[in-house]
Amino acid sequence: MSETRAREMQVIDDAEARGRTELWPFWRRVYAEGDPLPQLTCTVSRPTYRFDENEPLPEEYKALLLRMLRHEGERAGNKSFLGLMASCLDLAETIFPTAEAKLLKAEYLAEELKHGIMFHRLAVGLDRSFALRDVPYAHYAFHLPRETWADDAMFHFFVDLNGAFHSRDWRESSYVPLQKMAATVERDELGHSEMGYYFLRQICAEAKGHLVAQHLLAKWYPAALDMFGRSDSPNVPKFIQWGLKSVGNAEIRTAYKRYVDRKIAALGLDVPDERQNRRFL
Amino acid sequence: MTDIVDEIRGAYASVGITLDHPATYGTYYRLLCTGCSRIVGNVGDKLLPGMAATLVDQQFDLYAAGLVGCACGHQQERTRALDPERWAAARRRYASAGGAA
Repeated sequence: MSETRAREMQVIDDAEARGRTELWPFWRRVYAEGDPLPQLTCTVSRPTYRFDENEPLPEEYKALLLRMLRHEGERAGNKSFLGLMASCLDLAETIFPTAEAKLLKAEYLAEELKHGIMFHRLAVGLDRSFALRDVPYAHYAFHLPRETWADDAMFHFFVDLNGAFHSRDWRESSYVPLQKMAATVERDELGHSEMGYYFLRQICAEAKGHLVAQHLLAKWYPAALDMFGRSDSPNVPKFIQWGLKSVGNAEIRTAYKRYVDRKIAALGLDVPDERQNRRFL
Repeated sequence: MTDIVDEIRGAYASVGITLDHPATYGTYYRLLCTGCSRIVGNVGDKLLPGMAATLVDQQFDLYAAGLVGCACGHQQERTRALDPERWAAARRRYASAGGAA
């Protein structure tokens, strides 16, 4: 890393350090107790690839990588990502329960915008024409109505956790720039999920909140499981062969389900039937 | 205007919630209380066909009991007008949680 780039990164580190409180970032206490996420280990035989920025990429590899990054979406040049962040701001301004919750949402937004810069750099290094492309989030989970703080908490608990699981997988990515940033993104996204869980614990502590949360699980739980895509997706073997993924959709969904089921039960909520209201099995 | 947006608009109108114009760069819409124009939430335009009506219907009891919806009570009034029996049953069910009067 150049000296200039190192200084720039230090500025970001310093800014983040100044934002630290007893609660924020939520990942700190979780990782202090050990690795919270399961290992995602590739079990099929495959070649070992490693591609860095500015290296020529095989056509299929580049197409798959861009497809993956389109789904990821957290890119400064992606207007739809900024629109999603604005929708989070709207909720933080209008239905926040406490001043603390509002400030936590501000920290969350700052961290997501940091990811927007990180993925922007990655996009520029990969394909400059991609850097300013608007790619609306295609999955319905990003579009579900959020009408209560419990909805918003579930959005973070489930959807940001999906990001953490994918980032965990990228730790072994054959694309070096992605592999390098994977640990940071994983940690942050896990923290965002923990923020949602923190709100859910507060909500479920009251009878009214507990009822609402149980009701809303019927909306968010199937969407969360659907986010990993169809178990028989024809592109997955190609992603695995090129080293862009380690495991298939069914495997990562199973690991995710095990993780969230335990946390849902700890809130005193009933875990919904995993096949109820599902769209992508 | 897409069919999905029309679906969302229709589903929410039934319970007294207005779909506002697209916010910021499109894709996401504010949900406003039809009674008092306050923001009650937001929604995106990539729901699957039929999903908006299902989601709103699933929340009927919560609107009826005042557990979800605007503090002005407009959604409680609207759900009462839509289905008085279901409305009364929902309020009885959720009364112990402090959701209904």
